[in-house]
Amino acid sequence: MNVSIVPGLRALRPAALVGGTLFLGLLVGYWANATWYPGTSPEQPIEFSHRIHAGENEIPCMYCHTQARRSISAGVPSVSKCVGCHKEIATERPQIRKLMSYWQNEEPIPWIKVHDLPDFVHFTHKRHVSAYARAAGIECQTCHGPVETMDRIRVTSRAIDGSFQLDTPWEMGLCLNCHRQHQVEHGTDCWTCHK
Amino acid sequence: MSLLDRFTDGWRKYRKPGYYEEFDYHWAMTIDLDKCTGCEACVTACQAENNLPIVGEKAFAEGREMKWIRIERYWEGEYPDVKLRFIPMLCQQCDSAPCETVCPVSATYHNQDGLNTQIYNRCIGTRSCAVYCPYEVRYFNWNDHQWDAPLEQQLNPDVTVREKGVMEKCTFCIQRIRQAKDHAKDDGRRRVRDGEVQPACVQTCPANALVFGDRKDPNSQVSRSMNDPRAYRVLEELNTDPSVVYLKKVDAKG
Repeated sequence: MNVSIVPGLRALRPAALVGGTLFLGLLVGYWANATWYPGTSPEQPIEFSHRIHAGENEIPCMYCHTQARRSISAGVPSVSKCVGCHKEIATERPQIRKLMSYWQNEEPIPWIKVHDLPDFVHFTHKRHVSAYARAAGIECQTCHGPVETMDRIRVTSRAIDGSFQLDTPWEMGLCLNCHRQHQVEHGTDCWTCHK
Repeated sequence: MSLLDRFTDGWRKYRKPGYYEEFDYHWAMTIDLDKCTGCEACVTACQAENNLPIVGEKAFAEGREMKWIRIERYWEGEYPDVKLRFIPMLCQQCDSAPCETVCPVSATYHNQDGLNTQIYNRCIGTRSCAVYCPYEVRYFNWNDHQWDAPLEQQLNPDVTVREKGVMEKCTFCIQRIRQAKDHAKDDGRRRVRDGEVQPACVQTCPANALVFGDRKDPNSQVSRSMNDPRAYRVLEELNTDPSVVYLKKVDAKG
């Protein structure tokens, strides 16, 4: 008896066609997503490592992010701040050469924003970094996660149970939870944070 | 008590006028119509401060302009013996506001500072509040608005750029109030001083017709101004209890 698998395969052809199209769509979708949406840990123009700076060398966060205690935004350090140290330190490394080329061309470094909040949210670093917050034991890491262990910054938020959630942006419940815990004055009024 | 009962109970309590036993601040404004010249500087200042769009000719003709404060013009008397009257009309921040009771999602509610809030990200755009508002001071975003370059550079970062489908209105410049409180905290003070916070319209008024402040402080400029015998409130018979007080224009009898 002559047995062939060809008729069986032929019957599967529509299914294979549909499956193949779906798979192709998946690939295209993944590629488009990876290309146009930076995701939770985008590649930066310079491979700056928080692990080396904040972790190994134990530079305080606010040595570079000087605006955190003074304004709404924590701010990205100016190129001159970087050059201030790297004029002397590790000058031969390729990433530092890249930094110096920005410096010599008098251009800012086009860093990509990782931690971003919607337009309708008012969040001020100043109030959260101020003396009251430090007295309550709130460190930068309380919200931003273990930055000193990250080579490339990744979106991190804090879950209600206090653990860190990687790749999860901040949600309102997390803010409210902390405001309730620390009994912030009018901390649950909408107009405290929404503008 | 079941969860539903607790919910409805809380809702009822929240809906009751005078939900707060005492306001923390009680922001109020007086508008002296004797001083108002109808120059519309306040309108322009508000437009710049609060990221209000220029809607364009077509939308304007459809009655879809956005102005959180507008100058209303009235004629008094019969021609030729007529008098021109101006009334700047903005959100009256009513203490028992009709708009608050009608919002199905509590996007507008009364906060502890006696302000009638508007939370854009919560608003679902039913426009019920605009229907209930007797002062017609709520504005709906019928479109997404564009700021042609370089005008987008002048947008105020402290104020949201509202999207299509949400209601908006005067906030008494909440971003400035928030900033004043921030400064007060920096100085280790608890209270904001009188005159420390001014909405954009008040700051701009060339005739100083507008006065803003905390009504709870009996010595504040606004409290003293409210005791003026000319003081009245618009549509007071509706019992909305507005926070904006107008001082009547008095003509000299010739």
